This record gives sequence, structure tokens and C-alpha cells, in this order.
Amino acid sequence: MEHVSVGWLLNIGVSMALSIAILALVSLGLAVMFGMMGIINLAHGEFLMCGAYVTLSLTRIDVPLWLAIPLAGLAVGVLGYGVERLLIRFLYGRLADSMLATWGLSLIMAQLTVLAFGPSTQGIPTPLGSLSIDGYSFSRYAFVIIVCAMLLMALVYLMFTRTSYGVMARAAVQNPAMAAAVGINPRKLNALNFAFGAALAGWAGALLAPMVGVMPSMGEAYIARAFMTVVVGGPGIITGTASASLLLGGIENVVSYLSTPFFGQGALLIVAIIAVRLLPTGISGRWQRQL
Amino acid sequence: MLSHVTLRLTPIRATLVLAILLIVGSLWMSDFLQSQASNWIIFGLLGVSLVFVWGKAGIFSFGQGAFFGIGGYVYGIASINLVAVTNETVSAVVLATLGAAVAAGLLGYFIFYGKVGDVYVGVVTLASTLVLFTFMSSTASPVYHVGDALLGGYNGMAGIPPLTVGWPGGSPVALTIWQTLAILVALAALVLCVLYALLARPFGYIVSAIRDNEQRTQLLGYDIRLRKLVVFMIGGAIAGLAGALYAAWSMFISPTVFGLQQAALVVIWVLVGGRASIAGAFFGVVFVEGLSTLLGSGGGNATPIVLGVVLILVVLLLPQGTVPALQSWLRPRTASSTPVEAPAAEPGGAVDPRMPPGLSAGSSANGSLRVDGLLKRFGGLTAVHDVSISFAERGVHCLIGPNGAGKSTFFNLLAGRFSPTSGQILFAGRDMTRAEPHTRARAGMGIKLQIASIFPGHSVHENVWLSAYAKLHSRAAAEARATEIIDWLGLGPQRHVLAGELSHGQKQWLEIGMVCATEPGIVLLDEPTAGMTRTETARTAALISSLGRYANVIVVEHDMAFVRQLNVPVTVFHQGSVFASGRLEELQQDERVLNIYLGRHGGQRA
Repeated sequence: MEHVSVGWLLNIGVSMALSIAILALVSLGLAVMFGMMGIINLAHGEFLMCGAYVTLSLTRIDVPLWLAIPLAGLAVGVLGYGVERLLIRFLYGRLADSMLATWGLSLIMAQLTVLAFGPSTQGIPTPLGSLSIDGYSFSRYAFVIIVCAMLLMALVYLMFTRTSYGVMARAAVQNPAMAAAVGINPRKLNALNFAFGAALAGWAGALLAPMVGVMPSMGEAYIARAFMTVVVGGPGIITGTASASLLLGGIENVVSYLSTPFFGQGALLIVAIIAVRLLPTGISGRWQRQL
Repeated sequence: MLSHVTLRLTPIRATLVLAILLIVGSLWMSDFLQSQASNWIIFGLLGVSLVFVWGKAGIFSFGQGAFFGIGGYVYGIASINLVAVTNETVSAVVLATLGAAVAAGLLGYFIFYGKVGDVYVGVVTLASTLVLFTFMSSTASPVYHVGDALLGGYNGMAGIPPLTVGWPGGSPVALTIWQTLAILVALAALVLCVLYALLARPFGYIVSAIRDNEQRTQLLGYDIRLRKLVVFMIGGAIAGLAGALYAAWSMFISPTVFGLQQAALVVIWVLVGGRASIAGAFFGVVFVEGLSTLLGSGGGNATPIVLGVVLILVVLLLPQGTVPALQSWLRPRTASSTPVEAPAAEPGGAVDPRMPPGLSAGSSANGSLRVDGLLKRFGGLTAVHDVSISFAERGVHCLIGPNGAGKSTFFNLLAGRFSPTSGQILFAGRDMTRAEPHTRARAGMGIKLQIASIFPGHSVHENVWLSAYAKLHSRAAAEARATEIIDWLGLGPQRHVLAGELSHGQKQWLEIGMVCATEPGIVLLDEPTAGMTRTETARTAALISSLGRYANVIVVEHDMAFVRQLNVPVTVFHQGSVFASGRLEELQQDERVLNIYLGRHGGQRA
């Protein structure tokens, strides 16, 4: 057993916070689409992957990383807007079909990326280097991810509470007929919701790009965990994502630390399935809150 | 025609004929084509497992790939370890099938007993599959082995024995390509025949009822959680069998069977073939795999793109799948889906004076209901506040009250849709406070919801049959009961019409008939006349009065004219509590009751 020291505690704390932050990042866009539109977007992983590739391409043409990341999110948001207009809008009220159509989209996007960029893994050098505390080394970029996860949560909160788009979007979810009766155009809102969810996925991919390998199948690596987080979290976009990320990310991290990442994955699956049995509408399902 | 005996072509006979033709015909196929056909039969079985679970029972499972993979790995592990001892691998196929069924049972238990919503089922099953992918991919180290079988991580498990027959002490006989194909075809035919037979039994009707209207199925007294679990396990077993056969056929299995693309493929086959068509699954496999092979030789990397496009196009343009679309297109126009346009029933027709079938004056059903200190809070709001009331064994009783009085909440507490915060519900002396809806129904509580809850995709006769079967457990008795009840309801001319095509009033009567068919001791009706015309209301009142002679009937109602017609004891709810009881004429003289209806209390309103 390692002796307890400040560095050791900090090491465990940062590693756990990072697991939780990554889970929250990759789930937030999915949660916005699910909470606001009731749609499970199976191409979520590919939107994330697109964000990573946009970041990669921009840094290749010497755009600074700190500019490339926000731009990547915006680009994926625009892509999401187009997808909603061309495909999703035909499938409202057909839940299963919207899942299937986005699944088809995910196959197409992943393979187009293979054709355009090749199947191999490419990397963006992790910026900022590391710092050493008490004999333990910490990547500074890990702190950036943790802070950005919190900032994006705050952004979602502000979007839905402080902007007219957000207030109208929430109204349209609570009572579509009444929202339409007071002059809110649900179609426009749906397109914006989908674009916003896609942009969040894009930012998640962009932020992860310098830390993990960028490859066409990278979406698949995160999507299962993102689904589980949304299912366990329930319909509350921020409360649900945050609480489910804390639970699942915390457990995965602890189990991985005590044994191997192999069992960490297994523990995540088991805890998620038990949580579903006990709280079928998710952690936030009983709170009757949207955010 | 030479023969006067016409043999009806049932799905089972068609399957057997096709299987024999295929086995014989394949003698003239090349080895390559025989091997290819074997692969398609295996994938077809995997598709069939999804058709059964999704198309027939309405369970949105994307996890069939998981059970396929589990079957493959179990076969691999078992056959590698056993073949040297037993000289055969048939036992490994059996083990793999059982293993997949157990895995489906475990996952299904959490999903169905947790009452997970439809979308969540899709997400949880898919996510479980993908986690298995990550899981199995990280077993590359030789540490991960079971007996002599190395799991092999991302590279997969190699050296799996093919299908082999033999016996301990004898010599193993590996099957030839043609023999393998013949056995696969025979196995697939067997699975199909079992499924067709199962679907033609009451179990199959109940499963299709669950797909049509889950809530009503439960209110009739069927345990839907158990049925869904059984369906899911059968589906898992078929997928596991397919996985074992696949591992034996390719002598290899790798984690890609748990991948997103493999999971999507299963869905694409089934969508192309038609999600409710068992035979269509094989067509979907041949079409999609044939297309992939064609593209694989020419277009190369474009295959996933084409698959994605096919998936999107089928969802957008042919949501029923190609085979059913072709069938309806080829079918002559004269034979429409509703062959006979039955004349509409006279809505004001006289009610059969006989007693409702199944409910006799000497019926043993005890209908007494007692409620003690029932309380329900929603957050800070107390909707039902300390209600104690009891209803005798027979007769109609009305619950009235202004909007927000708590009578609907009270009804839902009795029906089991809400769980009370405190208090007790005793029916015929049994504690029903927190019982599942199907337990209440089996104990003799018949529940009719406000919005008619029927099986819209089934005929009127099938609707009542399903209800009667829940009580009688006999096909013939249920047939007879259904016929009687439909006559009693006056819906005879509509017997074979789809329930979804009935008028609003007819749907409400049908539901009353369905509740009666279960021989309830008590019947709970929530606003049975909402939205009815005056003549329909009168007829409903006559039906309910007739019912009240043989059972305890509690009606929650809004419409005072209807309550007056019933001419029965009335209980007034106000602010979540019992406010007054008595005959309607007396209550109408009561100043306090008038006050709450007219909002005159305390001078709060002008």
C-alpha cells in the first residue's frame, strides 16, 4: 500500500475528477437531445469524432489549438443543423425510427471519415506539459478538461434559462400545443436543439482530441458510456448528467484503480444496469426538473 | 385440379417444404455456394431472433448481437475443452444456447422488472453489447483463458472445432460442407416451426396483445413482465444458437460480433425483410449480404456507406420493410384488409335484459372493498387526504366531486397506477395496497380507464377472447364467453372489425365487456361516458345498471345527468376527502354540496 500523502490524494482526486469530467463531456450533447427532444442520437459518437477531426485539420493548417477547439464545436453544430433539416425532421414521434436513421448516419459518417483521412490513428500533441507535486506528475491539460466540462454545463444552464431560445425550447417540451398557440415555432426550435446538442458533442471531441488518439472509430469508444450516463441520469439535462457522471465515472475510476480498466468497464455496466432496475426513469426522473 | 383435397399452406408446412427443397437442391450447388448459404442461414436465425423479440413482442432490443457473441464464445470455450473428451461438439452448441438464454434472462430481469421504458430498452441493450466489445477486446493477454481456450482479445479466439458428431470413446466425424448446410437448414426449420407454433398458441396472442396495448394486457391480469422476460430469453437462446453455429462454421470468433456495425447489420436485415416477418429475416440477410458481397468485390470500402443509406431509406420510405410492402402491392385491390363493412350498431338499441355472461347471481366472487386512511401526496400537494370508505358486495356506487377534488387520484390508487403514501386498500379481505395491476385483476378487480384502453390492432372478438382467456385459461371456454359477451354488448355485427375502427362509444362498451369477461368481483369505471352522445350515455347507464346486479361497481363520474339516470348512492369528494354521501336528490338539497360545486364557500369568489 502506498503511503498517504498530499500528492497521492491529489493524484487520485485528479484522476477521478478527470474520469467524471470526460463522462459528463461526452454525454452532455446526447442529454440535451434526449431531454429536449426525446431523441436518442446514435450518431452522437460520430459527431464527437467530427469535432476531433475538425480540430486536427485546423491545427494542421496552423490554427492555434485554443481557437480550433471552439471552432470545431461550431462546425459540428452547423452539421447538426443540416442533419436535422434533411433527416430528423421527418421522424418526430417515431422514436425507434429516429434511432435507426441516426444509426445509418453513424455508419456513413464513420466510413466517409475512413475514406477521407484513412483508418489510422492520428494525434495532436497534448499542450501545456505537466507539473509535479509531491513527486507525482500531473498533465496540465487534464485540468483544462475538468474546467471545460464545468464551463459547458454552465453554458447549457445559461442557454436554457437566460436566452429566449432556451426559455422557448423548454416551454415547447413541457407543452407543445400551448407553445405553438402562443406563437413558438416548434420546428425552428427542434433544429436549434439538435444543432446545440451536436455542437456540444463536437466540443467534447475537440477537447478530447489532444489527449486521445484521433481515429474514425473513436466515437464508438465513448458512445456506450454516454448512453449509460444518459439512461442512468434520466431526463434532467444538467442534474441528470452530472449525477450519473459522478456515480458511473467515480465507480469506473475506483474499480480501475483497484484492479484493471477491464474490471472498471464491467463495474460501470453492472452499476448502470442495477441503477436502471432501481430507478427506471433515471436519477433525475423523480425530481420533475428539466435542467 | 386433379385433387379435390386442398391442402392449406400454413407457415409450418411452407417452412418444411422449403427446407426440404433447399437441402435437396443444395446437392447441385458448388462448395463455395453451400458454404455461403450456411452463413446466410446462420445470420437469418440471428435476424429471426430480433423479429421475434421486436416485431412480434414489441421489445426494442439492439442486444441480439450480444447474445450471438456470447453463444459464439461459449461454443468456442466449451468445444475446445470438450471435443477431446466427448468427440463431438453438439453438447457445446447446447451449452452455448443455454448460456445465451441465461445472459438474456439476467439482462431481461433488470430491464423488465425495473419497468424500463421502450427507448431505454434499446439504449441499455445496445450499450451492454458495446461494453462487451470493449470487455472482450481487452483479453489479449494469455492470462485470460478458460481451460485450453485462449480468449485472444481483439484478435479473437482461433482453433474452434467445426460441427462434429461422435461419442465418447468413438471417433469424431467432422461434417462435410453439404452435411453442415443440411443440418443448419434443418435446425433453422425447426426453430421456425417452434416459433410459428408458439405464436399460434395463447402465449403468442398474449405477446401480440402486449405489443398492441401493454397497459390493458396488464389490467386483464396477465403478468407482462414475465411474458416479456420469456420472449427475451427465447430470442436470446435463438441468437446464442446462431452464434454457436457461426463459431463452428467459421472456426473463429472475435469481439467484432459485439461491435456497432454488427449490431446495425442485424437491424438492417430485419428492417429490409419486414420487422414482423419471420421468413422476411432470411430474405433481408440474402439481400443485404448479397449486396455487400457484390460491393466488396467492386466498390471496396463503400459497403458501410451503402448499408447506412439502405437503413435510412428503408426507415424513411418503407417503414414496414420490403417483403410486406411487396405483398401489399402484389395483393389484388379487391381483397382489402377489412373484407366486410359491417353495418353500424344502433347506438340506442335496447340492452339485453339478461345478466352479463360469466357473472351469475350465485357467483362466488366477493366484491367487498374497504379503504382505510388512504393518503397520497405529490410533492407538497395532498391529493387524497385520509380517505376511509367501504363498498358493499354488490351494486353501483358513484363518486362525484368538482375538478381537483381528488377522485381521479383516488381511482388511480385503487387501480394501482399510483402507490399511496400511506393507508390501506383491502379487497375481498386481501391487502391490495401496493399490489401490481395484474395481481389486482387476478384477485377480481376489473378496471376500465377513462380513455378506452383496448387492443386497436385486434378484432373485437380477439379483444374479448384475450380478456376471457385471462380468467378461464381455456381456448374453447374463452371462445364461447367472448361470443356471449359480444352479443350482450350488442356488438355482434362488429365481431370481426378491428377494435381501433370502432366508434368512440363502441370502444367504451367493448372495454366494459372486456372487464366483465374476467368475472370481476368489483368493476372500477373512470368517467365511462366522457365524450358520449346522449343516446350512447343512456345505453351505457343501462349496461352499468345490469352489471351492478351481479357485481360491485364503482363509477367515477362528472356528468350529473348520467349519475341521475343510474339512480344509485353517491359519494361526494372535496379537497381530497369524502365530503358527503347519500342519494343524489338529497345531496342536491344540501347547501354545503351546492357551495363546493358553485364555488360559494367563504365568499372567496363573487
